[in-house]
Amino acid sequence: MSVLCAFLLLACSVQKPTLTEASDARQVTDEAGRNVTVPAKIDRFISLAPNLTEIAYAVGAGDRLVGNTTFCDYPEEAKKVAKVGDTLQPSIERILALRPQLVLVSTASQLEVFTKQLDEHRIAVYVTDPRDLEGVFQSIENVGKLLNQESRAEETVSQLRQRANAISDAIKSRKPIKVFCQVSAQPLYTIGRDSFVTDLIRRAGGVSVTADVPEAWPKYSQESAVAARPEAIILPTNGSMGSANADVAEGLKRSPAALSGRVYRINGDFLLRPGPRAVDGVEALAHTLHPEAFNQ
Amino acid sequence: MLQAEHVTIKYGSRLAVSDVSLSIRPGEITAILGPNGAGKSTLLRTLNGALKPSSGQVLLEGLPLHQFSRRVISRHIAAVAQEGDVRFPVTVLEFVLGGRYAAASAGAWGWETNRDIKVAHEVLDETELTELSGRLMNELSGGERQRAVLARALATEASVLLLDEPTANLDLAHQAAILALVRQRSDLNKVAAVVVTHDINLAAGFSNHVLLMKSGHGVAFGDPAKVLTPELLKEVFGVRILVDAHPITGVPRITPVHEVRR
Amino acid sequence: MTSNTEAALERGPTVRGLDEGRVTLRQTLIACGLLLVALLAAILITSLFGSERLPTRASICAIASFGRSRCGLTPDQYAILLEIRLPRIFLAAAVGASLAVAGASYQALLRNPLAEPYLLGVSNGAAVGTMIALVFFGAWEWSRPLMAFTGALAATFVVYRLAHGRAGASPERLILSGVIVTTFLSSAIVFVTTLMDATRIRSFTFWLLGDLSGATTRLLALAIVVAIVGTAVLAANARSLNLLMLGERDAFDLGVEVARVRLVVFFVASLLVGSSVASSGSVGYVGLVVPHLVRLSLGSDNRITVPAAALAGALFVVVADTVARTIIAPRELPVGAITALIGAPLFVYLLKRG
Repeated sequence: MSVLCAFLLLACSVQKPTLTEASDARQVTDEAGRNVTVPAKIDRFISLAPNLTEIAYAVGAGDRLVGNTTFCDYPEEAKKVAKVGDTLQPSIERILALRPQLVLVSTASQLEVFTKQLDEHRIAVYVTDPRDLEGVFQSIENVGKLLNQESRAEETVSQLRQRANAISDAIKSRKPIKVFCQVSAQPLYTIGRDSFVTDLIRRAGGVSVTADVPEAWPKYSQESAVAARPEAIILPTNGSMGSANADVAEGLKRSPAALSGRVYRINGDFLLRPGPRAVDGVEALAHTLHPEAFNQ
Repeated sequence: MLQAEHVTIKYGSRLAVSDVSLSIRPGEITAILGPNGAGKSTLLRTLNGALKPSSGQVLLEGLPLHQFSRRVISRHIAAVAQEGDVRFPVTVLEFVLGGRYAAASAGAWGWETNRDIKVAHEVLDETELTELSGRLMNELSGGERQRAVLARALATEASVLLLDEPTANLDLAHQAAILALVRQRSDLNKVAAVVVTHDINLAAGFSNHVLLMKSGHGVAFGDPAKVLTPELLKEVFGVRILVDAHPITGVPRITPVHEVRR
Repeated sequence: MTSNTEAALERGPTVRGLDEGRVTLRQTLIACGLLLVALLAAILITSLFGSERLPTRASICAIASFGRSRCGLTPDQYAILLEIRLPRIFLAAAVGASLAVAGASYQALLRNPLAEPYLLGVSNGAAVGTMIALVFFGAWEWSRPLMAFTGALAATFVVYRLAHGRAGASPERLILSGVIVTTFLSSAIVFVTTLMDATRIRSFTFWLLGDLSGATTRLLALAIVVAIVGTAVLAANARSLNLLMLGERDAFDLGVEVARVRLVVFFVASLLVGSSVASSGSVGYVGLVVPHLVRLSLGSDNRITVPAAALAGALFVVVADTVARTIIAPRELPVGAITALIGAPLFVYLLKRG
């Protein structure tokens, strides 16, 4: 009985789909190349990835964020927003119950699963897919446009760009350091060609030894990791990484990088979230790889 | 050598066997007869310790059965199994050699000794299975499998054989042959046998003693001629019985009299 | 002679190469000797394959000298060969042996050629145990095999209790209970993964399918010791298993201490599965296909199938893992995917052959 009531309640609450009338709708193309119809003004939206949440707050639209995932923990205010599940398995019902007009999605989510359902309720789904730092800046601007915060977005991006350029200048003449970025110890996962982290490393004065490996997060052979002779090993740690990456993988423990102590732990939330703090990641990485470049 | 004393077996509140005593002596065949549900097979299973009596005891050479290890019991008492299905490819020889398990002395990681092989071949010969010794068990006919089961029991060289419906799947010729074999073993090697069977005439022909059971109770025990009387049989089976003497062998011949309407 | 016998004789002998219809110690030693040679050859050959090319002659020389001489390999190459590749190959052998022997034992005990650690819920029990160890005791290395073993044992216990009707546990009921427990535990695993963060989920899912890349020296040593000791204990009980294979009642009547042997076999098999899963996740099909193949070629006598399955299982997984770690180099596939790809069609073929 109560289940029936709950069901009716839910059905009623979504009876009023957020219609976008012809006049106040816009057509945009998202970063996955999809054509999306969005309302001209967005008062309620949901973010399904931590980086998108950070971007939303960075462009000053955080007050209109009505739902995000359990992993969205930055900034502080994001923690208090209603949770709709995690990145991989968001709850459709929760999303619908919050009556958003727009859902921001990163390609890490299982798109196909729920875009159909959201489509039926006329909820717009916008996919972001930054492949490098420029792409991240682009995402920030795109989201800003969507949420009518263009000027704020531009401001944010220009500040971030400034910082990124400052780093580029500082390390300009330095020889890039060969880096192996270990995402998980066992099984051994690293970053590949399609991961934006490869670009972050480049901008920090490094070069990922796995830069040409297909995929974004390939499971990698320990032999090849050793044979690549990285000069440094990066471990994105803490925060949502948990302890999967607490230490260097077995096979790499005797590599020159590990033996000479060039194992660097960088905040995973900086390095692995394609959002405004990615620049923090570049800075942290650059300071670690080329400390001499930053001595006053 | 083997004795059941006041054995009672209860399943919850159901009395399967009630206060039955039985004495098995070397060289003697005891048949256990009775209708379905009389407790015959249940009683048989207590004789080698497969079932524990709720009260009463089974004694082997004067000592309670539970004091012996399984291996020792199996050296003395062999239960001839009802022919079960063999799901893995096992040859007849391998099957019969299974009977030599209890005789192994060096623990379970033993291999068969020459003596084991010799006994197995002798037993295969006795049961006329020599030509089939290399064949897989599940290629044999029902009757051949039953003979293999008997062969395995004989291979244990136990002094007591327990047989539960040994002639169930056999044709006439082999029915007699099986029991003749058991009889021969009894006479020559002083092996004792306890046979649960439905075939009253076969029991009459081959056994030294008969135990008649009904509803878990032992109704009568003794010589076939004395026990297999029309009165007792009617009491136990509820059917009119005609008992006369077999014209050729002189053994009691039991014929049920059925009221059949045409 | 009955007509059945005549007909049977006409079909010709069905016993393959077994002298006079039984397995002898000599045959066992020969078969196992050959398999051992094949395994050692496989270990040597597969050590020359990997995502990084190493000079062949120098590699063979280094291996032959048991690592004492570098034989001209660079320090990196030496590290790759002897610290990454060979330990992984040995782990593959240990895991393959453990799973095959466990499978053979379950099949004998449960009288069902389809019994397998995965189907019986034992693998999943070990996986859940490992997960609990990772989440709660991540720092302590030995927590994984310990919890895996506990999980395997617990799953075995539950399956057995579920299946134990008043008339005893028929093999059919055991398999059924095993399937129920497996599917339940699979859901539990999915549930626990939702509690993990996104990156963990991806790596854990891979591990669940079988991953041999995590060979720490100590876990490898444990896996090898468990494989050898487990095989030895089960081989020692092989003759009892032969009788149990024909039915618990038969075995009992013939003198087998059924309850004790059952306990030992379940315990040791759980140990074998637990140590395998703890070090490398669930590698499927090994416990199913390898014992079957061994029985088809060598007969059902467990005195030969148990050690032969150990060696053949080791060989199988060593080869499968070589494929898993070279076919999309420098990336890797889970070895469980390869064993399934080989194992499933092979099993269908075996089933069809009857």
